Amino acid sequence: MLSLWLGAADQGLAYAGLALGTYLTLRVLNFPDLTVDGSFALGGGTAAVLISQGAPVPLALGLAILFGCLAGLVTGLIHTRLGVNDLFAGILTTTGLYSITLRLMGRSNIPLSETPPGILALPDLGLGLDGQWLVGLGLAMGGLILLISLLLATDFGLALRALGNNPTMARANGINQRRGLTVGIAAANGLVALAGGLVASYQGFADVTMGIGSLILGLGMVIIGESLLRPRSVPQALLAVVLGAIVFRTMIAIALQLGLEPVDLKLATALLLLVALAFGRLRIPGLSDQGRQLG
Amino acid sequence: MSHASSGSTPGGQPVSGLTVAGLSWGHPLPGSGWRQLFRDFSLSCPPGQFLVVIGSNGSGKSTLLNLVAGTLRHDDGEIHLGTRPLHKLRDHQRARWIGRVMQNPLEGTCPGLTVAENLRLAERRHRPALLAGGALLGALAGIHPNGADRRRYRELLGDLGLPLADRLDEPVGQLSGGQRQTLSLVMATLGSPDLLLLDEHTAALDPRAEATVMALTDRLVRQLGTTALMVTHSLDQALGHGDRLVMLHEGSLIGDWSAAEREDLDPPALRAMYGKAIVTPPTSSSPHGSSAS
Repeated sequence: MLSLWLGAADQGLAYAGLALGTYLTLRVLNFPDLTVDGSFALGGGTAAVLISQGAPVPLALGLAILFGCLAGLVTGLIHTRLGVNDLFAGILTTTGLYSITLRLMGRSNIPLSETPPGILALPDLGLGLDGQWLVGLGLAMGGLILLISLLLATDFGLALRALGNNPTMARANGINQRRGLTVGIAAANGLVALAGGLVASYQGFADVTMGIGSLILGLGMVIIGESLLRPRSVPQALLAVVLGAIVFRTMIAIALQLGLEPVDLKLATALLLLVALAFGRLRIPGLSDQGRQLG
Repeated sequence: MSHASSGSTPGGQPVSGLTVAGLSWGHPLPGSGWRQLFRDFSLSCPPGQFLVVIGSNGSGKSTLLNLVAGTLRHDDGEIHLGTRPLHKLRDHQRARWIGRVMQNPLEGTCPGLTVAENLRLAERRHRPALLAGGALLGALAGIHPNGADRRRYRELLGDLGLPLADRLDEPVGQLSGGQRQTLSLVMATLGSPDLLLLDEHTAALDPRAEATVMALTDRLVRQLGTTALMVTHSLDQALGHGDRLVMLHEGSLIGDWSAAEREDLDPPALRAMYGKAIVTPPTSSSPHGSSAS
């Protein structure tokens, strides 16, 4: 039973980058970014290719982040420079990324014969593989929360938050909306690709379809986390979405333990998210549906 | 073309005048058709002048402000602030020299950010466009607003006699409309902008909040000596504030009075003009056509 909880926590932490990326685009930038479906698989595929060829895990994850950032950059440029609608810009990039990921992987599925020894190459702490993952991922996510908290507390972060909060006011205060959105979307997709790489490393394979529904998953994690913690500051919000990722994966694990057929997993996930959305709408403000005018 | 460009604040700092020359702007009408609101429109506002613009709905008052701020792109013509060609810049680039208070208290601030964070954003406005090129690295250095920022803001708000000094860490969304508009005004004047644009900034306020905001407006404009353009619907404001009053109708200037000339205006007569295309005001320096200086 302990293994179930540890495994769920590990998976939640591996998916936390997806939740953080979704938080950055949806909550901070107010940008519904469908690129995440493609960048998650891109990150997973990149990491799997490199790890399977013997590259160190940090290098594989670093390149996954870089490729994710590039994918986000493309969406940002399509939206801000070509004036393409935000949802459509993400769909365009994701559609293209499917082919790119498939090309990169060379086939649709890459198994990893040996589980990597842990994302930070930690010394053996005698906790078993799941425990080792938990410590490694926990440390990595803690560092990530600290880094993003600091970043969002600088003038740069303040500008990004202002852009999502009130773009008209942000531009009237000298903030370059196009550049800010593009940088923010790129950074968010870097986080999502990191999650893809971590999930591929943890589960021992990458599949070109592993990103399908990632935005919905990330959204569910954000809403569950916010509903549970009701954050009042940026660091609290980041902590909440990571917690949301763990809770979300735990609920999935429990459902599987209770006899849910794996084939019904997507349906269960959708229903779970529906409940989370309804729950979230009751307790926290809904996602903004304000339109955006680029200046 | 001549520019109204020189001047100085009470503190001796140079200020810039605003020159709008040959401005054209139109927009499509629902269905089909086109409305040419401004056609070869010109207006000059000398350095340090507090210009009040009055006119009925659709006269082009707010549009004029949006064209100067760059929120709307003009079709033709030139806009200079001092010698700076604003018409060649995008809105966030113009913001370096322009402070702006929106009509809607919800628009001029970020409701999800705290009072201190909003002030920090405004304080950065005069620097080269944030998130642009080399400014990116600078924007990553240091946590803001920090303790020193807060002390500065507390002092600033305290000096202005505003109760917001004790609410620096509250989200702006929790403030009343009047408080938000007051904050927006303080933000717009931070860093002594060369031009202050006030777009019916008391229209959504109750009379008490309106009086507070107008008193603060007068004080800040005088204190900074900045060039200011205030658009209003209120005849009382038009007759009681500013150094000069102009009236707009259908994108054309139909009246232009100095403060002294304004004293002789008969409010009922002015009210009769309001919204009507009467092109012969009783006292006017340049009542005919659409050019004034």
